[in-house]
This record gives sequence, C-alpha cells and structure tokens, in this order.
Amino acid sequence: MSDGTTGPPPTGVLAVGAFTAGAFPLVARDDASAAFFDAAARGELLVRRCLDSGDVLGPEARTCPGCGSARLEPFVVSGRGVLVTWAVVHQVPVSVLRGAVPYVTAVVELAEGPWLLVRLVGTDGSDLRAGQPVSARFVQPHQPDEGSGADSGEAPGEVLPVFAPGEPAAVSGQGES
Amino acid sequence: MTVDRTVAIAGLGITELGKVYGRSARSLAAEAVRLAVADAGLRLGDVDGLLVSNGLAGKVGVELAGALGLGQLGLLADINAFGATAGVMVAQAAQAVAAGAATTVACVFADAPLAPKRSAGEAWGGAGRKPRTLTGLAGWQLASGGVNPNILYALAARRHMQRYGTTSEQLAAIAVAQRAWAAGNPLAAMREPLTVADHQASRPIAEPLRLLDCCLVSNGGVAVVVTSAERARALRHPPVHVHGYAQAHEPRRMHAGSPWGLVTPAARSGPAAMRMAGIGVGDVDICELYDCYTYTVLVTLEDYGFCEKGDGGAFVGDGRLAPDGKLACNTGGGQLSSYYMWGMTPLSEAVIQARGAGGARQAPRNDIVLVSGNGGILEHHSTLVLSPHPRTSSGGLG
Repeated sequence: MSDGTTGPPPTGVLAVGAFTAGAFPLVARDDASAAFFDAAARGELLVRRCLDSGDVLGPEARTCPGCGSARLEPFVVSGRGVLVTWAVVHQVPVSVLRGAVPYVTAVVELAEGPWLLVRLVGTDGSDLRAGQPVSARFVQPHQPDEGSGADSGEAPGEVLPVFAPGEPAAVSGQGES
Repeated sequence: MTVDRTVAIAGLGITELGKVYGRSARSLAAEAVRLAVADAGLRLGDVDGLLVSNGLAGKVGVELAGALGLGQLGLLADINAFGATAGVMVAQAAQAVAAGAATTVACVFADAPLAPKRSAGEAWGGAGRKPRTLTGLAGWQLASGGVNPNILYALAARRHMQRYGTTSEQLAAIAVAQRAWAAGNPLAAMREPLTVADHQASRPIAEPLRLLDCCLVSNGGVAVVVTSAERARALRHPPVHVHGYAQAHEPRRMHAGSPWGLVTPAARSGPAAMRMAGIGVGDVDICELYDCYTYTVLVTLEDYGFCEKGDGGAFVGDGRLAPDGKLACNTGGGQLSSYYMWGMTPLSEAVIQARGAGGARQAPRNDIVLVSGNGGILEHHSTLVLSPHPRTSSGGLG
C-alpha cells in the first residue's frame, strides 16, 4: 500500500472493456513522450521537476515558470490530488472525441503542486465539489472496430493517465461503467 | 502651453455581418476600412497608418495595405492579442498619433469563418475540422478533452461557481439583459426576447455553460479611424475621445495558488485605464464588455471593481444590466446577441453610444464609456475609456 508520497503507484491499468468503445482515442508515442507512456503502462504518473527551484511541473513543461530554468528532470508523482474545477462536455469538440461525449474533463491539483488538465472517470459530474480528493487511474484505449484484438491489424494506443474521485485505495482495481 | 496630444476615434465602418458568404476576410477588411474612412469624412489617401487584426479563417494581413492602394504609410502592422486586439490596436494608434509617426490610423478586424452548410461550432475549430493525429503528450492532452474555448471557459466558470456560489441563472441574467438591448439594434442577429427559462432550456455545450452562454459566430469586418482630437473636431462626426487605455497579459499559471478562473488580467488593465482617464468606476455611464461567454462579463465587472470579488452573480442577477437597469452594459446586444467581431464588437457599440447614435437603444448618459477586450482563456485584456468630451489637462471632463 502506498503511503501517498513516494511509494509505488496507487492503481494498476484498468482493463480493456471497462469503458465504452471510443471513449478514449488512440494516442501514439513519440520520442519525447516515450518515458511518460512507459510510466503510464506501469501505473505511474511521470511529470517533471525543476532541478533549480525544486518545483514540480506538468509533464509538458520545458522551462520552470517559477525561475525560468530549463534544467528539468523526470519525476514520478504520488497520483494524489484535489479537484480544482470540472466541465461536463456534451458538444463534440473534435471528431476524435465523438465517441466520448458526454465526458467529464477537469483541472486537478496534484499533491506536489502542478495543475493537470485530465479526463475524470467514475463520475457523471453531478456529484463533484471543488477541493475533493482525486487520484490517478490508467486506461488502455480501444476502438469500436477492435473486436477480438488479435485480428485487428491496428496497434493499440498507449495507456493514458486519467483521474477519478476518491483516494487511491477506495476504488483501487475497480473498472468504470 | 502644451501641445494637445490627445486622440479621438473619428470614423467607424461596419460591413454586412453574419452569414455573409463568398467573400474573403481581406475583402471584408478592405470594405470596412473604406466605410470607416468615408464615415470620418476623409479620403483613403489620408490614411497613413494601418493596423490589421486577423480572425480564424483567412488572413487579412499587412497585404491589405496594397489591396487598398495605400502607398505612403508611416505605420503598418499585423497585431494579435486575441480578443484583446481591438483595444491594443487603438492604444497603439493613439501612441503613434501622439508621437507623430502617423496622423490617421485605420484599425481593422475581419473574419469569415462561416460557410454554407457548416455550423457555428464547426466554424470555430470544432467537429468539422480534420482529425488531428494523436501523438505524444499533445495527444494525451487532446484525449483528456479540455480542447476548445467552450470547455476551458466552462472550467473557469465552474471554479467561480464553486468558490463564490455563482449560479447558471445568474449567468442567464446577462444573456437575457443583452438580448433585451439587442432588440433595439438593427445590426443584431438575435433580437427576439429571451427569458432565464429559455437559457436554462438551451442545450448544454460544456456544463456549466449552455448554448445561450456562448457567443455567436459571424462573418464580416469592422474598422475605426484614430486621429488627433484636434483634427477630429473638423471632421464629419463628433469626436469620440480616447481618455485612457491599458492592457494586461497573464498567461494562465497551471499550479497551486493560481487565480485562473477567479481573477483575470482585467483586474490590472481596468484600473490602469481608469487612472489614465482620471475616473473611477462610479463615473462610468456605459460598459461595453467583451462577452465571448456570459461568464466573461461577470468576471470583468468584478475585476473592474463594479462589485466585490465574488459578488458578480448577485450584482448582475437583479436585472442591473438590462435596458431599464442601473448599469447600461453591452447596449448593442454584444457578441452573445448581435455580432461576433471579437474586440470590435464592444468597440463599435461604444463609438455608436458615445456619438449618441444608438437610436432606440441609446443609453440615457454617455459621458464615460468603458470598453473591454479579453483574449486567450482569460489571459489577455485591454481596456479603453472613451468619451464624447475632450480630456482636460486637469483630468476631469471638458
């Protein structure tokens, strides 16, 4: 069991089939994101930390907004945080999210400080409040035409970090419906 | 004796607006400039400065100068601060005129995102756009779903609601008031009366925002002509004097302690422009506030100091912004009900009101008109203080 600060990741990867087909589009890695997706496949959320200020930043950060330094290192966070705000998206914003609506997107504040824009799963958005605990989950996207998996010629997308309401232990290992 | 370096808006040009098909943004921009110059009683050859603002679809660009046959310019630039651009252009023009770099500066915005058989949502970078390749961290962020202004402003509005108890019905009051103003504006696209219940029944786009919280999408062009106050007095319309201007830019900070969604750069830009004009919020007769969403109006009123932070919902909820309310605000219907020309929507209506040319919708007093521009996701802000009266050296009204 994680102590919530430096221990192992709180949850594993949610099973294929836990989500509606098309709820998550397939995402391919590139060189710059390989470590991020490798970590996600292990159930870890990899962000960055400034070597000069010590500030923990989002995974996309290239410089530290606090001190301007470009000396950033990879950093695995606890996956715990609180909900800052959320929106329930009904109108399809881009065609690749056609199978996802309605969905909940949120800003979460990680225990280590940075805000992330994330998908929030395990809620329809009606039971949320700002400040409540949220924690990282990891999903394996699959597409409607994937069917029996082995027959599909298409490579599966990368495992994607998402968040869900609650402490890590409370819903660990559960699928979403 | 000091030289009068104050400036005024002397011309306003507005093309046909809305579903205007088959014309490029540059063509609409050229027409808007011609209309503004003629409105001022000037000739195109008098223009020696041109500032250009591009929209979403089709570049206007500095090439507009050539298209207009303007060959003797002392100022030419393509300016972008998103929705704050109109105020930034007027400030830049005012500084250029005051410095003697140009005498007559046309500032223009034009766009043509709408096409037949394409919805407004699709026009605004929506579902009609080709699927982006989902790769890397950007692909993960797209899959996360916070991908367009509707959604990001919904996140901002929700934060305010959670912190201060602001409600969707209070946002509705803004849409209802602006629609009532639009009824008196022949240029407005949406003029049929609206109720809070209509707003509540409109489809959710990204909750808490509903369809009637969101601005229109329009094709068209709007231009203004900025010149010295002294010269403007000799021209066709009463001058609209520029008493103050300011801008503030604060890229959103994605970290613990960030005020994003609760406080915007308007909190610096508004007071700075009012200081320059020598006024306070109590002196403002008319507000023309950038209204990409109802929420933008609410948070701007708070940041400008019309009410305490967090009280915006109650402030607008009692019909204060309606035509018979205490504060004339977005008197043409704004971008929610009239036309979506970015910062040129509030600016154009401000010029009309300051001239006293508002017809059925003319506000009872127009001594001070406050204009806002907002861009990015509540990240860029510009403010103008306009008046039909010249600015006196003592700081008061003439």
